[in-house]
Amino acid sequence: MANHKCELNFLSRSDGSALYSIGSTIALASVNGPGDVKQSNRHDFRVFLDVTYNPCTGQPMIRERTTESVIRKTVEQVVLTHLYPRTAINITVQEMQSDGLALAASVNAVCMALLNASVQMKSTFAGVTCCLTPAGTIIIDPTEAEIKESSAVATFVFESLAGELIAAQEEGHLDTDTFTTCLNQCQTAAKDVFSFYRRMIANRYQEQG
Amino acid sequence: MGSDFRAPDLSEGDPTVVLPGDLILEYDPEKTQDRIFLGPGLRWQDKTITATKCGLLRKTPKKIYFIDSQQKRYVPEKRDFVVGIILKKRGDFYMIDIGASMAATISYLSFENASKKTRTELDVGDLIYGKLIVANKHMDPELVCIDSYDRAMGMGRLPDGGILFTVPLHVARLLIKPDNPFLHNISKKITYTIVVGLNGRVWVKTAREGEMVAVMNAILLLEVMSMEEANKKVLKVLESFI
Repeated sequence: MANHKCELNFLSRSDGSALYSIGSTIALASVNGPGDVKQSNRHDFRVFLDVTYNPCTGQPMIRERTTESVIRKTVEQVVLTHLYPRTAINITVQEMQSDGLALAASVNAVCMALLNASVQMKSTFAGVTCCLTPAGTIIIDPTEAEIKESSAVATFVFESLAGELIAAQEEGHLDTDTFTTCLNQCQTAAKDVFSFYRRMIANRYQEQG
Repeated sequence: MGSDFRAPDLSEGDPTVVLPGDLILEYDPEKTQDRIFLGPGLRWQDKTITATKCGLLRKTPKKIYFIDSQQKRYVPEKRDFVVGIILKKRGDFYMIDIGASMAATISYLSFENASKKTRTELDVGDLIYGKLIVANKHMDPELVCIDSYDRAMGMGRLPDGGILFTVPLHVARLLIKPDNPFLHNISKKITYTIVVGLNGRVWVKTAREGEMVAVMNAILLLEVMSMEEANKKVLKVLESFI
């Protein structure tokens, strides 16, 4: 947990942005909106959410599309979508540096960027990644090398109200018991992330009175 | 789960920093005679009031609760004074960009002394200062440049030769606070005309162009420092520009 860092308002021209790092994984998220949306994407009673994910190098491919959809579905659950009808919120995530925790870092970056943009939400959310070593131990916030050696890796996203799970992505095999253990450990780790959010926001508001 | 948050004691002291989802207070109108008002960033559901934005939770003596947040994107609110840019003319209406998700409209009759025969002609790109009379999420916002007695009261087309720049919304709110000495401090050095729109657009005009840039930079200080700090530094900044 000690290795989480965040800088709010990193981009001057976007409505909200955040640079978020977990260990040596860094993601930059930018939120623009609620803004104008073209007719074909316009919903009469809710906001249109558009998420774009750009990898460090190369073009966005299928893997990036998956990440986009995880982020979009997460955000849809917490943003009060009915408050912004016929508008769009554009979320852009740029992976700056990757060390295995790209999804968790981008989810957290998106949350901080949404807070920075003051988009109305039910709660905040935090992503935590863990991996299972062949020896059977669980590592929270592993590195790329640790993930390569592990038998399974899972990312969970929790909301802050009751700490409930709102999104999960898993690779490899986890049996029910190990899965529950992973989930519980990540849930505990998420609490630290939420208090980190609170400290970051408090700093920002207190320094400007 | 946001366990390190305690429901704030609102009676005194500094405003608390809240995050979305924080419980502000329990409120059941059937059980209490107390009437309260909820401003931006708060939501009442299942007899509890929760925050939906992050920011400073404030309460006024008249029991208005609201969250003072630092936001850049403008969401139109009724009775807000805004600075807009004319986009185009459509029939009896002008379309105006006020920085919101949708263009606002203004009827050519909503100006002082305007009639069907003597209409105010505005060109694309002109700036106007007006008040929102229609602003809700399901309709296009509408502006007027007159008050309820048909007087302009300073609203209308802004004269040529000024500069327009954008500040975050909390800076705009701070600037127009009646007890704020900041604008007076600037006027000790420079004579200027200023129009502040609650949509974060600020228009400044002075006799010389260099002075306009100085005023603009002085106001942009507020984006990165507190009011007290800015009040101390403002004269130095102005001097460095003129």
